[in-house]
Amino acid sequence: MTDTPLDQLGPVDYVVVEFPAGQSSFTGEMVDELIKLVDAGTIRVIDVLILTKNEDGSVDALELSDVPQLGELQKLEAELAELLAADDVEHLAAAMDPGSTAGVLIWENLWAAGFASAARRSGGQLIADGRIPIQAILASIEADVALAAQEV
Amino acid sequence: MPLRPARIGRVGVIGHPVAKTAVVAKAVTPGPAPIAKTAVVAAAVTPGRRRRI
Repeated sequence: MTDTPLDQLGPVDYVVVEFPAGQSSFTGEMVDELIKLVDAGTIRVIDVLILTKNEDGSVDALELSDVPQLGELQKLEAELAELLAADDVEHLAAAMDPGSTAGVLIWENLWAAGFASAARRSGGQLIADGRIPIQAILASIEADVALAAQEV
Repeated sequence: MPLRPARIGRVGVIGHPVAKTAVVAKAVTPGPAPIAKTAVVAAAVTPGRRRRI
């Protein structure tokens, strides 16, 4: 793992990508895109886990190193920080449906590190952040269109 | 496969059970004109669009 001073650490995000039972088709495309982001210096992968939620609700976790034939992921595996704890596995798996498999990815947004560091040096404090769902954008646009129609 | 020992007994970083978010793909693919809907979303985030107040 790269030894990054805390002041220069970029924002850290996570996603849980669920694959419902029988609906996954891994072609390597996801790995290719992830490697591109890493190679471009856009992100640094901090942790990866593969979770399976059984029909009885129990959860199995697979370390990336336990995946046979890692291929291109081999170079990522060597840099992982194992940030997630056992408690996190349970918390993340709460969103999964029984019978599904999910990939958990934690990464540092290297692209934002410089800006975040500059903001801190300028005395700024992060007081809110988040993601705007596509659904919310759609709802906003549709409301806008409906309002415009009423005004005609 | 069990988790690595380093993950056991540590304080987690997630903090609470995670709720499933709405599946994004469903937002841009429903109805009779999914392509048109996708285009609408794209237009909403196009540079230069201004809000109406």
